[in-house]
Amino acid sequence: MIKTNNLMKKFRTNEVETTALNNVNLEINEGEFVAIMGPSGCGKSTLLNILGLLDNPSSGELFFYNERVDGYNERQRTNLRKENIGFVFQSFNLIEELTIYENVELPLLYMKVSSSERKRRVNETLDRMKIMHRAKHFPQQLSGGQQQRAAIARAVITNPKLILADEPTGNLDSTNGEEVMNLLTQLNETGTTIVMVTHSPSDADRSHRIIQLFDGHIVTENMRQKL
Amino acid sequence: MFKIFLNTVFRKLYLQKGYSLINILGLATGITCSLLILLWVEYELSFDSFHQNKSQIYSVYENQTYADGETFTVYATPAPLAANLKENIDEIDKATRISRTWGKLMLSTEGSTFVENSGLCVDPDFFKIFSFPVLLGNPNLVMPDERSIVITEKMSKRYFGEDNPLGKTISINTNLKYHVSAVLKDSPKNSSLYFDFLLPFNFIKENWGFNLNNWDSHAFLTIIQIKNNTYIPSLETKIKPYIKQNLKQSNTDLALQKFSDYHLHSINGNKLSPILYIRIFTLVAFIILLIACFNYMNLSTARSERRAREVAVRKVVGAHKRGLFALFMAESIFISLLAFGLAIVLVELLLPFFKELTQRDLTLKLSNPTLLLSFAAIVLFTGFVSGSYPALYLSSFKPIRILKGKLYRDSHLFRKLMVIIQFIISVALIICSSVIYRQLDFLQDKDVGYQKDNIIYIEMLDNFQKHYPKLKENLIKIPGVLKVTAANQMPINFTNSTSDISWKGKSKDAKDVLFQLSFVDYDFIETFEMEVLQGRAFSSKQGADSLKLVINEAAASVMNMKYTIGEKVKIWDYEGEVIGIVKNFNFNSLQVGVKPLLMLMSSDEFKYIAIKTSGDEQPIINKIRETWSKSFPKIPFSYRLLKDDFSYLYKAESRMSLVFISFTLIAIIISALGLFGLSSYIIEQKYKEMGIRKVFGAEFQNLLRSFLYRFLKWILLANLIAWPIAYFLMQWWLAGFAYRIHISWMEFLGAGLLSILIAFITVFYQSYKISTIAPIKAIRYE
Ligand SMILES: Nc1ncnc2c1ncn2[C@@H]1O[C@H](COP(=O)(O)OP(=O)(O)O)[C@@H](O)[C@H]1O
Ligand SMILES: [Mg+2]
Repeated sequence: MIKTNNLMKKFRTNEVETTALNNVNLEINEGEFVAIMGPSGCGKSTLLNILGLLDNPSSGELFFYNERVDGYNERQRTNLRKENIGFVFQSFNLIEELTIYENVELPLLYMKVSSSERKRRVNETLDRMKIMHRAKHFPQQLSGGQQQRAAIARAVITNPKLILADEPTGNLDSTNGEEVMNLLTQLNETGTTIVMVTHSPSDADRSHRIIQLFDGHIVTENMRQKL
Repeated sequence: MFKIFLNTVFRKLYLQKGYSLINILGLATGITCSLLILLWVEYELSFDSFHQNKSQIYSVYENQTYADGETFTVYATPAPLAANLKENIDEIDKATRISRTWGKLMLSTEGSTFVENSGLCVDPDFFKIFSFPVLLGNPNLVMPDERSIVITEKMSKRYFGEDNPLGKTISINTNLKYHVSAVLKDSPKNSSLYFDFLLPFNFIKENWGFNLNNWDSHAFLTIIQIKNNTYIPSLETKIKPYIKQNLKQSNTDLALQKFSDYHLHSINGNKLSPILYIRIFTLVAFIILLIACFNYMNLSTARSERRAREVAVRKVVGAHKRGLFALFMAESIFISLLAFGLAIVLVELLLPFFKELTQRDLTLKLSNPTLLLSFAAIVLFTGFVSGSYPALYLSSFKPIRILKGKLYRDSHLFRKLMVIIQFIISVALIICSSVIYRQLDFLQDKDVGYQKDNIIYIEMLDNFQKHYPKLKENLIKIPGVLKVTAANQMPINFTNSTSDISWKGKSKDAKDVLFQLSFVDYDFIETFEMEVLQGRAFSSKQGADSLKLVINEAAASVMNMKYTIGEKVKIWDYEGEVIGIVKNFNFNSLQVGVKPLLMLMSSDEFKYIAIKTSGDEQPIINKIRETWSKSFPKIPFSYRLLKDDFSYLYKAESRMSLVFISFTLIAIIISALGLFGLSSYIIEQKYKEMGIRKVFGAEFQNLLRSFLYRFLKWILLANLIAWPIAYFLMQWWLAGFAYRIHISWMEFLGAGLLSILIAFITVFYQSYKISTIAPIKAIRYE
């Protein structure tokens, strides 16, 4: 599904150049659940953003379903994203002025889905994420766990083939974290490919494979034995 | 300490280059415009204010009342009036008559001859009433006798070079000899009385044989100087019937106007007098300044919100409320002063162009600091208000709330309001300038009822009339010259009028009607292509046409003549016969309608030769010049184009409209800048939100739509408020014209669309910017 070839990412700020990714080669197959781990600042988020086309690599190649996409323009990227990829962030990134319902509905607005269909899908998804009772509330009024469930609802509402999650449990306590991980695992079991950045070994245990990053390099790729 | 302060201020300015530029430039532009306008206004108001006795100097003017109830208000008064008033009315200390020399005069010294037309004939009190500094001669006896001429410095140089001119002889029209008794400083540019030389008033009699004892001939300006502490209303009641006391049948009352009001205030109650324009422009100056200050406050308060975090941090590390307040204030005031400094530089740079535009000799005088000081005060105030919001607000709120990222919404209302006001003003200005422009354009192009194209005319010197027939004969031979005629005045501005007219059926006790009187040559009507409705024009083929009259429609209707050919009309003691009626044509400014007119033939009165050419004037004019100088080698040839003069009639208004439109443009630009800056700011605040929307599939058009919606609401509201304001203002202005356009709904629509366009461009630019960057940058944006 995803393949990268010598992916490089450099940041330049005020004469200081940081190499966030250095010759990253990896392949992710459809239906996989991959965890990316590594010390903070090693380039995990950068990698995830590039895989999700939220950022551009400095050099190297990126393939999505065997199609080269690193040269796409913003419009093509947007289209690819909205049809295939859902995002979950550590800091939720819900829009403050919109209710939970509206936040979840947002991706459908940009896909020209009819309003009755939107209503059906939003309600169904909120229900699945167990936050139906909070639909009319604003993000600030919710607990972290609820906000993250809302964010996951927003990510899955378009039925994406791939979900990219950047430390989805990073801001949550263990109970809420557990709940979020359960949801992701369920999604994976129904066929969604998941790539997740995490610091937590127990979260990583849910995955099929762990990619270890260090200073922009992939150091190891552990195939986990499925029990 | 101050250095640290400066450093932080400049670093902040640099870090927020875009805002700083818009903010400082906007304010500077606003100050520049309003300063320029006020310099001009101040100049106009300064007219005739250099006379030391200015509070005691008054012009006497006449209100003549006619049959139709119309009053005719003029500065022209009878020659005996001045001396009479001075002698008989206690409150009047001094008095002088003033008359322009009529037309061109030939002045000669021993060596050379000059043609002059800027002389005044005055009484000796002139020099005591007015303050024109005497450079040479006796300041207490400037014009000692009837044979004295007083000249200006400029004229002295021209006539006598570096020689002492005192006592030198100047002869006028060869027969009258004068000796120079004094040299005056050139009359200042802001003087209503402009002259190169001054002659004793008796020159009018000596040169033109004019009877200076006639109470019934209204021709001269009378200026009086009153004693200190005179109660003006009671003096006015004394003066009012003065002419009637001396001339039983007179229809004329007298009134007083302060001489310093001469330049700007019209005596006839015309509401479109120059002072109105001065007031409008003062208003425009303040509006522009207001817009600029609003902008400034708007942008800097917006910016200060971004600094909430800075404040919070400063507070956490222990800054005191009072210290923070002082810091914000100092910063804001400092930046506004920076803008002020820039504005002064801009004014200096733009002044030459502005002088050209206004045709006024303006200077940014630092020796007269009131204007600058009041501006500095306004700027300080702007800085203060802009600073006080963040200073008070930010320095008093709780740091923890900002660090948690809570934004404050109540300031948005204030800011929206200011943007709406700006747009109201801009939209109203757009509509007004469009209407003003169209009206003046309309006047320029209006069919005045005669042909003004391809007509050149030449002003005759005195006693030239006898040469005219021969000249006409020669001129008409020039190829390209179609018609040659002469008259006492050109149709551009008829000023010769009389009410001493009677006709069959005029009722005995009817009040007087004022008729314009024009003395014309054969071919006059044909040259100007006026339309003859009944009868015929003057014609040399019909034998002597003297004492024949051609009248206009207005005159025919006043005299109740429907089929009038052959009717007799008595003018003074002469009886004339009507031979034709011409269609009404405009012989005054189009602000006034058409008045009754009588035209008759009288070659003694001719003052102008008018020549109709076949087009492309220059080669033909060269031929005319040749013909002229062959016959009159001593008299310089000079001519005017009627069309130019016609434009000149509306020049004051044209110039005003040009200035008005330029400043409207600037006001609009400042408003647009303000909207641009503010919407950029608002959009920037929404960067993160837009980034998130992008992550989930929003494209350019989605972003554009959501922004447009936010701004369009304000713009529409501003339009709805601006339209009626502009409509009523312009209706009122147009009501002052006899011929006027009608306000078109297109103007409202246009202004609306323009304002939407401005908003659209801003929003388009910002949406486009976001839509092209990687969304992660927007999400991370702080
Ligand atoms: N927008 C950016 N500008 C400059 N440097 C960045 C930017 N984003 C990330 N970096 C740098 O790239 C490196 C990798 O960052 P990141 O991918 O966020 O690490 P991780 O998610 O593994 O903690 C870090 O050194 C970080 O400072
Ligand atoms: Mg990270």
